[in-house]
Amino acid sequence: MPKRLAYSLSDEVLEHVFSFIQSDKDRNVVSAVCKSWYEIERWCRRKIFVGNCYAVSPKMVIRRFPQVRSIELKGKPHFADFNLVPDGWGGYVLPWITEMAGAYPWLDEIRLKRMVVTDESLELIAKSFKDFKVLVLASCEGFSTDGLAAIAASCKNLRELDLRESEVDDSSVHWLSHFPETYTSMVSLNISCLGSGEVSFSALERLVSRCPNLRSLKLNRAVPLDKTANILRLAPQLVEFSTCTYSAELRSDVFSNLAGAFSNCKELRSLSGFWDVVPDYLPAIYSVCSRLTSLNLSYATIHSPDLIKLVSHCPSLQRLLVLDYIEDSGLEALASNCKDLQELRVFPSDPFDVEPNASLTEQGLVAVSLGCPKLQSVLYFCRRMSNAALVTIAQNCPNLTRFRLCIIEPNTADYLTGEPFDVGFGAIVEHCKDLIRLSLSGLLTDCVFEYIGKYAKKLEMLSVAFAGDSDLGLHHVLSGCESLRKLEIRDCPFGDKALLTNAAKLETMRSLLMSSCSVSLEACKLLSQKMPRLNVEVIDERGPPDSRPKNCTVDKLYIYRSVAGPRFDMPPFVWTKDEDLALRLSP
Amino acid sequence: MELQLGLALPTPNMVKGFDLNNHGLDQLKEMGGLEAWNKAAGCFADKDCVKSKRSFEQAFGNFTEECRTKPLLLWSGQPNEEEDHKDQKKATFSTTDENDAEEDDQVVGWPPIKTWRKKIFQQQQQRRVGRAENNRVAENENGRSIYVKVKMEGVAITRKIDIKLYHSYQSLTNSLITMFAKDKKCDEDDYILTYQDKEGDWLIAGDIPWQ
Repeated sequence: MPKRLAYSLSDEVLEHVFSFIQSDKDRNVVSAVCKSWYEIERWCRRKIFVGNCYAVSPKMVIRRFPQVRSIELKGKPHFADFNLVPDGWGGYVLPWITEMAGAYPWLDEIRLKRMVVTDESLELIAKSFKDFKVLVLASCEGFSTDGLAAIAASCKNLRELDLRESEVDDSSVHWLSHFPETYTSMVSLNISCLGSGEVSFSALERLVSRCPNLRSLKLNRAVPLDKTANILRLAPQLVEFSTCTYSAELRSDVFSNLAGAFSNCKELRSLSGFWDVVPDYLPAIYSVCSRLTSLNLSYATIHSPDLIKLVSHCPSLQRLLVLDYIEDSGLEALASNCKDLQELRVFPSDPFDVEPNASLTEQGLVAVSLGCPKLQSVLYFCRRMSNAALVTIAQNCPNLTRFRLCIIEPNTADYLTGEPFDVGFGAIVEHCKDLIRLSLSGLLTDCVFEYIGKYAKKLEMLSVAFAGDSDLGLHHVLSGCESLRKLEIRDCPFGDKALLTNAAKLETMRSLLMSSCSVSLEACKLLSQKMPRLNVEVIDERGPPDSRPKNCTVDKLYIYRSVAGPRFDMPPFVWTKDEDLALRLSP
Repeated sequence: MELQLGLALPTPNMVKGFDLNNHGLDQLKEMGGLEAWNKAAGCFADKDCVKSKRSFEQAFGNFTEECRTKPLLLWSGQPNEEEDHKDQKKATFSTTDENDAEEDDQVVGWPPIKTWRKKIFQQQQQRRVGRAENNRVAENENGRSIYVKVKMEGVAITRKIDIKLYHSYQSLTNSLITMFAKDKKCDEDDYILTYQDKEGDWLIAGDIPWQ
């Protein structure tokens, strides 16, 4: 841009122009144009996303962006979802809330994922932010209904309270009753993770009846079926609904009441819940099925015939989450009925059993890939797969952006040829040029990583387990995947060589987590020493890594870039370097 | 070419490599660092650095010459034949984590299912069993199945079976042999069924009548 033009636009004009630029990436680019744009931009940035809460400190964020209204923070790495990160590792939000309480009085949105949130943090939020509107706690823990009560009591303008998949302790306080009678602003409420004691149904009913803008309601399991109809009649404007316990002996009055209530909900587009579902009650939702775009039946133990019937009523379906009870036949029905399908997730009904208890194979996924041209996102658990199927899927769905395949038994080979799945996954990365997320499974050699490094140029997140033969595998990925941000690896023979050769690459990524691989303590020390902008954490509950024999590999290694330097809240089982460049016990 | 695992002391070249972002470092102080990430990414996105697959040495050679950031380790790119990676792989595979807080002695975190989902699934299973709708426990008298973990020596993964489905030690043993035969070739005669009683003692099965 010619200098003249840049100087001729006043700050107010620029600020106005910048207000149309919402994406973080674009904002970052804007701020790098010149010093004055940097200054203007930082004062008008309202939304911050911090993908790793340890990558930057709250003070640094506040210093650069003084007028933030909305913040999103993520704590533990993704593998924590599968118990691969010990309890107490970190991810505490209190330091952030404490700093922001003083600096951002107008903060109105906080979204957290995999963080430890205490009642103290929630009370501080309730007290500090006068116009607080949105609280999303996804996969968080460490708080109880006491904290929720504080939020309910103080946040008069709260619009969204979403506790998806968090662990909440029951302190026996009726927190829902703490919403004052004058409170009417709820738009989205997700309390599906709460246990039975934690929600008073009458308080819930009163809340729903006085919130006319309620669009999304996800109830917890303890609410009985006959109450569902009551709730729906109070909120026929709902767009998203998660049912409570969906089981009961079939009674025709309850059924017709329920069916009637559902038929009133003309805006309903998304249904989930269906805990303990009794198939006989399913037809109660048929009246809304034709409009449904999202259906989550992944907690419903209903079998293929009932699922086929249900799915055949849902031609507009874009998103389906389901258990493997759907079987290949159900997926074939899905493929012929639901041409708008974009996302499919099939979970295992009995993941720890060696023998399949449902007839779900690679054929189901192939059928969907053939019948659903808009398919973009796949998560599929199965017990057998073939390279031929993967190649077919890749050719049928070149627009895939997310492909996560979990062949349940580690190191399973192609059931037709006995070969590894290198060629199959190779086809996926070759054909699906927009692939941003990939999870591998089954028998895999270094070859698959060569394909990934060669073709997966837009890949941002890769999950690897029980795969590869040598460091070459990891080297291919680190040297080839230009867009890689997150890499998580477990039980692979990847070690020092690949890691150290590609040390600089790690600074371009958010994080790398390696669990039960072959990295030595020496390599960790060297990496720490040479790369000051990386935090290298050795997570080992077996004791001081220094005390182990020389050839012992570290248990878990978590490396992430950071401008905040080392953190000070590490538990005893996390080891990093200190000033003397030797690993020591953290304080 | 021998790979050089011996990590040399920092050479001037290496130090220079890390000064690549000197320019970036100044800006880092000013701008809080986000731009420096873009610059580093820019270096990596440099097409001259990353080549499509030719021979490994060639690709690697380009990497060190043209990319200004030096790697920490010079590597010929040949996997070291002395290390038996297959064994290593097996070793990690068979390690079951002692810290696994869950009932099942499965490999920790595998299959990758969220803890929350697993909990719900377990609760549902218990309730389902209580209702005796589950086909697998159709033979139960009182409707509750008893799941036990079974581990075979030398096999990593434990299995879970419902012993209510069996009527005798022999049928149980036969079934277990069939189940584990997938992992390890075994002769019926070579294996003895043992179990752990309430006091933690290991006893040979068969001494006490099946009931």
